[in-house]
Amino acid sequence: MRGRVPIARRNLLADRRRLATGVFGVGVSIALIFLLQGLWGGVLKQASAYEDGVGAQLWVGDRGTSNTFESSVVPLTAVDRIRAIPGVDRADPILIRSTVLTLHGRKVLASVIGSRPGAMGGAWSLPVGRAPRSNGEIVVDRGLAAQHGIGLGGRIEVAGEAFAVVGLSAGTRSWMGAYVFMTFDAARNLFHFPDAAAFVLVRTQHPSSVAGAIERQTGLSAVLRETIRRNDRTLLAGVMKGPLDLMVAIAFAAGTMIVALTIYSAVVERAREYGIVKALGTSGTRLLRIVLGQTSALAALGVAAGYVIFRGAAALVVRLRPQFLVSLAGSRILWVVAAAGLMAVLAAILPARRIAQLDPATVYRG
Amino acid sequence: MRGVPVGRRNLLSEWRRAFLGIAGVATAILLVLALDGLFAGAMNQITRIIDTSPADVFVAQRGVRNMHMATSAIPASEVEAIRRMPGVRWADPILYDTDAVVGKTAARQLSYVIGYLPGRAGGPVKIARGHEPGPGEIVIDQRAASRLGVTLGGQVRTLGASWRVSGFTTGLVNIVNSVSYVRLGDFEAARGIRGVVSFVLVGAAGNPETLAGHISTELDLSALSRPRFSAQERRVVSDMSTDLMRIMTIAAFSIGLAVIGLTLHAATLSRLREIGVMKALGARSGRLSRIVLSQAGWTIGAGVAFAVPLTAALGWAVLRATGNVTLALTAGSVIRAAGGAVVLGGIGAVAPLLMIARVDPMTVFRRQQ
Repeated sequence: MRGRVPIARRNLLADRRRLATGVFGVGVSIALIFLLQGLWGGVLKQASAYEDGVGAQLWVGDRGTSNTFESSVVPLTAVDRIRAIPGVDRADPILIRSTVLTLHGRKVLASVIGSRPGAMGGAWSLPVGRAPRSNGEIVVDRGLAAQHGIGLGGRIEVAGEAFAVVGLSAGTRSWMGAYVFMTFDAARNLFHFPDAAAFVLVRTQHPSSVAGAIERQTGLSAVLRETIRRNDRTLLAGVMKGPLDLMVAIAFAAGTMIVALTIYSAVVERAREYGIVKALGTSGTRLLRIVLGQTSALAALGVAAGYVIFRGAAALVVRLRPQFLVSLAGSRILWVVAAAGLMAVLAAILPARRIAQLDPATVYRG
Repeated sequence: MRGVPVGRRNLLSEWRRAFLGIAGVATAILLVLALDGLFAGAMNQITRIIDTSPADVFVAQRGVRNMHMATSAIPASEVEAIRRMPGVRWADPILYDTDAVVGKTAARQLSYVIGYLPGRAGGPVKIARGHEPGPGEIVIDQRAASRLGVTLGGQVRTLGASWRVSGFTTGLVNIVNSVSYVRLGDFEAARGIRGVVSFVLVGAAGNPETLAGHISTELDLSALSRPRFSAQERRVVSDMSTDLMRIMTIAAFSIGLAVIGLTLHAATLSRLREIGVMKALGARSGRLSRIVLSQAGWTIGAGVAFAVPLTAALGWAVLRATGNVTLALTAGSVIRAAGGAVVLGGIGAVAPLLMIARVDPMTVFRRQQ
C-alpha cells in the first residue's frame, strides 16, 4: 500500500461546522493580536507626527531636554544666537503646551503649537484655508473639525479664549487627541508663558556638527530629530507597552484554548478510531504528529482568517474613528505567525495526552 | 422527584473538554475585565492627588477644568481676591508643570512638578521620609526615587535645574508619571515665571459648590468643588479611551462567543444518541432545550467564577512587576462582563438547539457508527 492515510486532515474536516467555529475563534484571537500590534504601530507613528512633519533637523531645548512631552524653556535671546551659528539655515521658536478642549460635551486632548507666522513650526499640511496670521486665529485638525462640525470661519474655545478657525490641517490627529496651531504670541498670552520659547527648531544640512556648536555656544541641548522622535516613542512605550503586552498575552491564551478545545473535541469524538490506530501498532510519535498536524493546520487557518478579519476590522475602525491609525509592519506579521506556531504546540498538549492514555482495547468494546 | 441534571453531567462527562471550554470563556472574560480594570486603575491613580487634597475648591484659568495634560495660568493677584471672598477659609497657589525628573544615572521619571508654599495646602499630604523642601530642595515619590537610583540627600534634575532630595512621598506614582514638590519661589526662579500661578486651592467655610459658583461668576475663573474637579479629571481619561475600550470589548466578546459555541456544539454532538433516547422516551423539545441552555449556564457561570479571581491575581502580579500599573476590579465591571457573557451563551446555544430539534428518535435504534 502506497502513501499514508491523512488522519489529521480527515479528523479536522470530519465536522465542518466545528472547524468553522474553531477557525473563527482562533481568527478573532489572532485578529485581536494583529489589531493591537497595528494600533500600537499607529500610535508610535502618530506620536512623532509633529517631528516627522515640521521639517526641522534639530530641536533646541533647555539643558537635559530629550523629548517633547517634558517641559522646556528657552530664552528668546537664544534664537538670534542660534541663527548666527554657521551651518544654521533657519531657526524659529515654538511653544508647545497641552490642553483639554471640551467639544460637544466630550473632552479632547490637544497639543497647542504656537509658531510665528511664515516661520517653521506650523501645520505642514494645510489642505483647507491658511495658517494663522493674527492672535485670534487658529488651525485645527481636519478630522477633528469634521467630527465636531467645525468649519472655516467657525469658532473654537481653547483655555477659555475663543479663536476663529482659518485653516484645517491634515495628519495632525491621534486617538489620544489632536494638534491645534496658533501664533506664537497667541500661545504665549494664552498660557502666560514667560519671555521664552519651549523649543527652537533648526533647519540645517549638517545636524550633528551644528548640534555640537549650538550646545557649546548656548549651553542648551540640541537634539537630533531622530533622537527626539525615538525618545518620544520610548516614553510613550514606557506608559502603554505594559498594558498592551498584557492584552496580547490574554488574546494569545484565548487563541490557544480555542485551538485546544477544537482539536480535543475532534479527538474525543474519534477516540474509537484512534484506539484502532493504536491497536494496529502506530507509534506514539506518529500519533503526536497527527495531533500536531491538526493544531498546526487550525492555527494556520486561524492566522489566515485572523488576517482577513483584521483587515476588515482595521478598515472599519479607521472609517468610523479616523483618529485611529493602524500600521502593521511586516516583522509584526511574522511575529504573530510565530506566536500562532507556539499556540499550535501548546494546544496539542491536552489532546496528545488524551490519545496517549487511550487503551487500544477500546476498539473491542461495543 | 427532582430531575436528573443532564446538562451539567453532559458537560462534565469529558472533564478536559469542560476545562478547556470554561478556561476559554474565563480567558475571554478576563480580557474584558483586565481592560476595564486597567482603565479604572489608571483613573483612580490619576485623581489621587485631587482626591487626597485638603482643598474644597480648585480654581483654574477660565475654560480649564482639570489638571491632567492641562495648562492653567492665573494672575497671582487673583489669589488675594479669592482670599477676600466671603466663605473662603484659606486660599493657596500652586505652580504646576510636567517634566522629567532625572537621576544621576540619567534614568528619567516623568513627573508632575508642583511648586507650593511649604506648610500650606498644595504640598504633599504626607511625607513618608525626610522633610518638606527647603530652598533648592525637592520631595519625590519613594518608588520614583528607587527607579532613579536616588536616596535622601541625593541630587536630581528637573525644570532645568539641580535639586537636593529632602523627602519621599508614597502612592503618587501612576501609569503615566509621578508627582514631585518644590517651593513656589524655586519653581518661579527655575522657569522665569513672575506674577502667575497655575491653580489656587481653596478651603471653604460653607458649601464648596456654592463657593465655587461665586468664584466662577465674580472672578471670571474656572472653579470646581473637589468631587467635580476629580470627575472632570476622570472624564478626560474616559473620553480618550472610550473608543479603544469599545473595540477591545467587541473583540473579547467575539472570542468568548466562539468558545461558548464550540463547547456547546461539542458537548451536544457527543451526546446526540442519548438525546435521541430521551426523545424516544417522550422528552419534549422544551426539556431538551433547557439541557443545552443549562450547559451554557454552567460554562458561563464557571467561566465568570474563574475569571474574577484570575483578574484579581493578575492585578496583583502586574502591580508587583511594574510598580505603577494597577488593575482595579469593580463590581460594575464584573456585572457588565457577566451580562455580556450571558448574551453570548444565548447566541452560542442556537446551533446546538437546532441540532437537537433535528435529532430523529430512531437514532437510538441504529448501530453506533
